[in-house]
Amino acid sequence: MGKPSLYESLGLPRDASKEEIRHAYRQLVLRLHPDKNVSAGETELFIDIQQAYELLSDPMRKADYDSHLPDELSRVSPLNIQIYYSQPSLVRLSEPQLIYSLLELSLQTDTNQLVSSTPMNISLVVDCSTSMQGIRLDTVKLTAIELVRQLQPNDIFSLIKFNDRAELLIPAGTLSDIKSTEMKIQLLQAGGGTEIFKGLEMGFSQVSQFRSNNRVNHVILITDGRTYGDEVSCDRLADQSSALGISISSLGIGTQWNDKFLDHLTSKTGGICKYVSDIQDIRSSILGEISRLGSNLTEQITYNYQALQEVELHSAFRLHPASSPLVLGPPLILGFIPKHGTLNILLEFLIKDIPSSITSFTLAKGLINYEIPRHKIKTNYVQRLIFERKITNDPIHEAPPTIILNAMTSFTLYFMQERARDEMAKGDFNSATRHMENLATNLLRKGENDLAQTILDEVAYIHTNRSYSENGEKRLKYATRSLFLPARTEGNNL
Amino acid sequence: MIVCPNCGNKEMPGALFCKECGTQLVNISRDPTLAIPSSLSDQLHEQLVEDKSQDVPPTPMDASLSLFLTDIGEVIPLEGLSEYTIGRSSEDQPILPDIDLAPYHAYDYGISRLHASIKINTPYAFLIDFGSANGTQLNGQKITPHKPYPITHGDIIMLGEMKIQLLVNR
Repeated sequence: MGKPSLYESLGLPRDASKEEIRHAYRQLVLRLHPDKNVSAGETELFIDIQQAYELLSDPMRKADYDSHLPDELSRVSPLNIQIYYSQPSLVRLSEPQLIYSLLELSLQTDTNQLVSSTPMNISLVVDCSTSMQGIRLDTVKLTAIELVRQLQPNDIFSLIKFNDRAELLIPAGTLSDIKSTEMKIQLLQAGGGTEIFKGLEMGFSQVSQFRSNNRVNHVILITDGRTYGDEVSCDRLADQSSALGISISSLGIGTQWNDKFLDHLTSKTGGICKYVSDIQDIRSSILGEISRLGSNLTEQITYNYQALQEVELHSAFRLHPASSPLVLGPPLILGFIPKHGTLNILLEFLIKDIPSSITSFTLAKGLINYEIPRHKIKTNYVQRLIFERKITNDPIHEAPPTIILNAMTSFTLYFMQERARDEMAKGDFNSATRHMENLATNLLRKGENDLAQTILDEVAYIHTNRSYSENGEKRLKYATRSLFLPARTEGNNL
Repeated sequence: MIVCPNCGNKEMPGALFCKECGTQLVNISRDPTLAIPSSLSDQLHEQLVEDKSQDVPPTPMDASLSLFLTDIGEVIPLEGLSEYTIGRSSEDQPILPDIDLAPYHAYDYGISRLHASIKINTPYAFLIDFGSANGTQLNGQKITPHKPYPITHGDIIMLGEMKIQLLVNR
């Protein structure tokens, strides 16, 4: 595969414009600047990027570099991009307006060009605080052992235990002595507090040692607690992790963990956050996550869009796979394309003003970057993606595509649930219960009777107790989110 | 601005759903519930009457309930269930109400697809409005959605503009 070109190291196509080069550089600097106390390996990366930019921004040196550049392996991007809009045009209005877009990504690759499976480079970061004691930790241990037995000879594995501090139990590398590894896992003991950053940082550094484009580079955090005071460091780490193409997933056990924080953290890296209410599900969740990672066709797909003046990307939501709100960028980490099916993202744009001089409006423009680790020849890809609509003076009456309406139905319900949650947090019980009741009415209409009943029971509980029931808050959130599950949305695929 | 026909919440142009009540705002292929303008007395009631539940005697254990559609002259018996959802069926609706008023011109009366329910919890029966578009009245008073109200023989229930009397037969 050789050394990546300067364009590749900046995530740019070879015919990148001056503006695109500058934008890509700025984004990377924001994420990797050494002033932001980055680990050693990244300072090097930062210097590479610095040098690449200096060369490419100098027209003379750029021309010279371009002329010596070997031909690109393949110009064809195997990514199929399908964009749906809620309206055929934007109407000139004197007030702000909304438009929705659904981005559907799929991969068209010749399977002959793919190696059969991607080697793993994963780190298991296990919370061993006091609350994990007993069946929780025991189940995690058994699953970890099962996982170790499944590993292929060239898979890289590491395991970190953490409480108030982190301890490297199994250093990253291929496993030579399975027996002693199993023994080490077996001896894990619980005790102490939960400081997620320490564990996560060690997991990240273990994975980054062996980071490579043709591996699945991933950290799995298993926790049942809430971290205090180190959220900002975690957030920072997620940025670095995402910049290096290392994704983080998390598994939250029970009710005490901070789902908002972990959702945010994992979504920043293209990973997913799962809620496990039942101990029985720990095993299937961990093993499921591993098999998902192994079968994905792409590693995280990034949309590095440029912020524009008259329009704001108001919200972004991944519908499928692993539905989750996305952290707004730029860049936007979209997720990955599963083995079967598509990656679907719902975007809400808020248009503040339409200048009178233009006839076509750009909602977003930028570059899509992704890796296909299993590809034999070329693993890094980049291509342009632009969202735009023409402008008309009168509205064109045309029904929004079914795929958007279906997505928006579920999204609206999820949004109502989140809103009720925020209102609960503020102590506004009346608004919260009203929104929950409205949500229940809509669910009844959709035929989701069980979920509707669960919500109404919760409302009754809130009326008497002025708080969510013990499991209620997370259960409602993940249950409304499950409305997006493939079983419900896949049948509607256009 | 777009105003939600169901709850009056304001949304930006381009919005597809009401963020307040979840109502679809565009391209409603199936007919929406006919909106009946609220009268002055409705508004007065909303201001004056705050959830004043009536005092209801228990219904005998062996009694059977039925609904008398006063304008139409039909009697619908309530048999076999502990809760009856009332509404009108429409084409693409996944679940049907137990008591479907569509044959009685429910649309013209402003009845929602899932309007209300009658729950029988012996020895009492309760009326619950499902946050319907035009609301439910019990003996001339508008009731709060999702809240059960005890009902008894002779009570007049208004679903939208359809008048229904509850009959308890011993």
